Amino acid sequence: MLKLFLCLRYLRKLKLVFLSVAALGLSVGLLVIVASLFSGYIEAIRLTGHEVYGDVYLKPWIEIPECGALIDALESLEEVKAATVVTESYGLLYLGRGNVKGVKVLGIDPDSYSKFYDLENRLLKYRHSSEGRNFGSDFAGKKGYISIGVLTRPDEKTDVYDFDIARQWLGKEVVFTTGAVVKKPTAVRSPEDNNNVEVVPGTPYGERLRTRTLKFKVSGIVHHGIYFIDNSVVYLPIETVRQLHSVQQSKYGGGQGAVKIRLFEGTEPRDAIESVRRVWQKSANQWGLDKHLIANTLLLTADDIQHAFLAEVHKQKVILMLIFTIICSAVVLLIFCIIYMIVISKQKDIAIIKSCGVANSSVASIFVGFGGFVGIAGSALGVLLGAVVTRNINLIEYWIRVALGLKLWKSSAYVFDKIPARIDTAMTLWVVVFAIIAACIGALIPAILAVRTRPIDILRYE
Amino acid sequence: MLRRRITYLVLVSVAVCVFVVLVVMTIMTGLARDFESKNQRWFGNCILSSDSLVGFPYYEEFIKKLGSEDFIEALSPVIAVQGILTYQDTGYQSSVQVMGIYPGKHSRVTSFAESLYYHRDGPLRAFEPSDDANLPGIVLGIDKIRDRDEYGLYYHEPEPLVYSFSLSCFPLTARGSLARAAVGIVNSKTFYYSDDSHSALANVDGDYVYLPFDEVQILCGMAGGEKRASAIHIKFVEGVDIEKGRDRVRAVWDKFVEHKRSAGYAELLDGVRVETYKQFRREVMVAVEMERTMMVFVFSLLGLITVFIIFVVFYMIVSHKSKDIGILKSVGAGDIDVVSVFLLFAVLIGLLGSAIGTAAGAAFLAEVNGLEGFLFERYGFQLWSRAIYAIDDIPNKMDLNVVTAIIASAVAACLIAAVVPSYMAARLRPVDTLRVNRL
Repeated sequence: MLKLFLCLRYLRKLKLVFLSVAALGLSVGLLVIVASLFSGYIEAIRLTGHEVYGDVYLKPWIEIPECGALIDALESLEEVKAATVVTESYGLLYLGRGNVKGVKVLGIDPDSYSKFYDLENRLLKYRHSSEGRNFGSDFAGKKGYISIGVLTRPDEKTDVYDFDIARQWLGKEVVFTTGAVVKKPTAVRSPEDNNNVEVVPGTPYGERLRTRTLKFKVSGIVHHGIYFIDNSVVYLPIETVRQLHSVQQSKYGGGQGAVKIRLFEGTEPRDAIESVRRVWQKSANQWGLDKHLIANTLLLTADDIQHAFLAEVHKQKVILMLIFTIICSAVVLLIFCIIYMIVISKQKDIAIIKSCGVANSSVASIFVGFGGFVGIAGSALGVLLGAVVTRNINLIEYWIRVALGLKLWKSSAYVFDKIPARIDTAMTLWVVVFAIIAACIGALIPAILAVRTRPIDILRYE
Repeated sequence: MLRRRITYLVLVSVAVCVFVVLVVMTIMTGLARDFESKNQRWFGNCILSSDSLVGFPYYEEFIKKLGSEDFIEALSPVIAVQGILTYQDTGYQSSVQVMGIYPGKHSRVTSFAESLYYHRDGPLRAFEPSDDANLPGIVLGIDKIRDRDEYGLYYHEPEPLVYSFSLSCFPLTARGSLARAAVGIVNSKTFYYSDDSHSALANVDGDYVYLPFDEVQILCGMAGGEKRASAIHIKFVEGVDIEKGRDRVRAVWDKFVEHKRSAGYAELLDGVRVETYKQFRREVMVAVEMERTMMVFVFSLLGLITVFIIFVVFYMIVSHKSKDIGILKSVGAGDIDVVSVFLLFAVLIGLLGSAIGTAAGAAFLAEVNGLEGFLFERYGFQLWSRAIYAIDDIPNKMDLNVVTAIIASAVAACLIAAVVPSYMAARLRPVDTLRVNRL
């Protein structure tokens, strides 16, 4: 009780203590903000990966001949919740006079694709209304959805798309062109021997490329909020894309199919990979696909695909946290100075309580406790500051742009059009523990000095 | 005052702060400067470009006119269009930025020749495949065909392998509509790999392919009627200020446009912009600048902690030296003298701390690449994975402006922190501090 009383008394008297609380709060706040920004970014990239690739991604580098049978076989696995085939191909989109864009066309089946990606609610026309939706019929035959960045660019200063300009494209006709493989074998030069020309029929080497074009109507505009998707992706019905690539005529289509697999909650993607591989190999053997093509099929989890990049961002987070922690460690010095001052100015108090029989450990614990109190108060302040800034980071960024004209976050540089911050609880706890320990360390030497105070020296009359 | 050990702690605090800020800012500034320099070398000093894929006519005439100006060293006409590239051996497709260039001219304006692997010394033959020089060649952005290893290096065979690619473009008329709307719409042609280009700019090496100017002009429909180009890349004579050079180019261009006002397709000349390389590449360059600004802001906030420390230490010193101050004032020292003692002390701490931090920072930066190499060999740690980022060595050249700014900030921080304690010292009255019962 006496210790608490003395701590509170010193706190009330010394305004300087609040400086150390403020400094500690600032340090903790900054560390919490940095950790939260990085964690939010890493998590957003990870989730985007799961949306784009599914939990498990199978890419055989060819058009999949019998999608329905493969999907049924995959969905019969106990780990698999849903599966869908997507045809991916690249091409050029002619939008109008002098306006050509390079795009990635995804051929999708809207029903099964919606189990992976909420495309419907990302359409501008359905965004604020649940009525009058006809997602299926809007997306059939020669109709398709175009991502907003293909049609218009975000404003250079605000980084915001003009939705009204984008909506003007609805119902307009655009032309898509891509290369397609036709069956007729042709002579190609052997990669092994520069001088020889050889014909390898029945393999991709033996087939010939032709360009194909498709006119379709824009029936929807999609805004994903993810720059590289907004800037390049066009959605067409899977059958339309397959016809464009003449899949019916060719074993090796120009467009490349991929299977996205969603697993049941709690299933570890790596554990499911072997079951998926067995299903794929069985189906591919039944279709009589080339052994090399079966062996070279890409079968990865979404986390595996992004592993290298995520690891790099995580490393940068750790390095930045380390740098800031080194600087913030100076707070130890600040707390040391302040408590040292308290010890020096309160020597008489210390001498009196020691002369009343208080043990050295109790005297030390007053000051270490005082440091701990500074640590707890500073941490609480810092966590509060960090939480407020993290939760309102987009609003803060907006006001910085309005007030200073500085656009700090651009989707073209950082992928997302909003800052994906989320409070990193685990890291915040570590920072708080570190801050309290640092504050106690800062109080340790002054506490030892206090213990070494001899009442006889301090309370002498002269 | 230097006898007080607490002063050394302040020195250490200032030195650590200066050290960390110096190292981080040197690396960030180096990266930004390196990126800027790569962009300048890759795109030239100034770019005159059309914002439409249709391009603009009369470029040859303008090049002749501008080329006669004394501040121009070299000019390169360029066609930039979107295309689709198909790897003929695998059928893999990707959309690409196609650049049609005259390799000799372009190498005089930009670092194109240096970026080549097989034709570095003879860029004029850049589009000649090694096995048959008569076949049409294509130079690929290096990331389109090769992977970087963990050291950031690319493996090249002694002789280029034989690859063929099909490139398709939409040919557009001068009015922007499809040139072959009635007959197949798209132009395609097969090209053979002749070299790859390593500009060290990630989005360039991953997106661009280079072809002979005349081939691209035909492919995208710019060869018919009045020939068109998309851009002219310009290099100024050494010593010409880039902003001033751009203004001079703009003046020549405006005059040229006025002169051509009544010519056919003159309206295409209105959509042409004259920009420095920084303006031309502002989308990527602004991001790098912004990161540096944010880092400065965060370090300024952290610097506040150092200001608090210095303030508290000075407050302690003033509290403990009240008798000295009393004596000084009693023998005639004025308030300003007392303030100046503490402020001078603050400046000395700032300078000394900065000197220690700068020396340590310089020593660390000198060895940073060796240290990273050691950590990579031993523990596989790299500051930036070279397989992912297009970064060579860690930039370690200290910028005098950065060093000066950091030292000035450190001294200013010390001064700011010392103002209140100095003022308190000046306000002390000898009659209070030198009273017998306080001695």
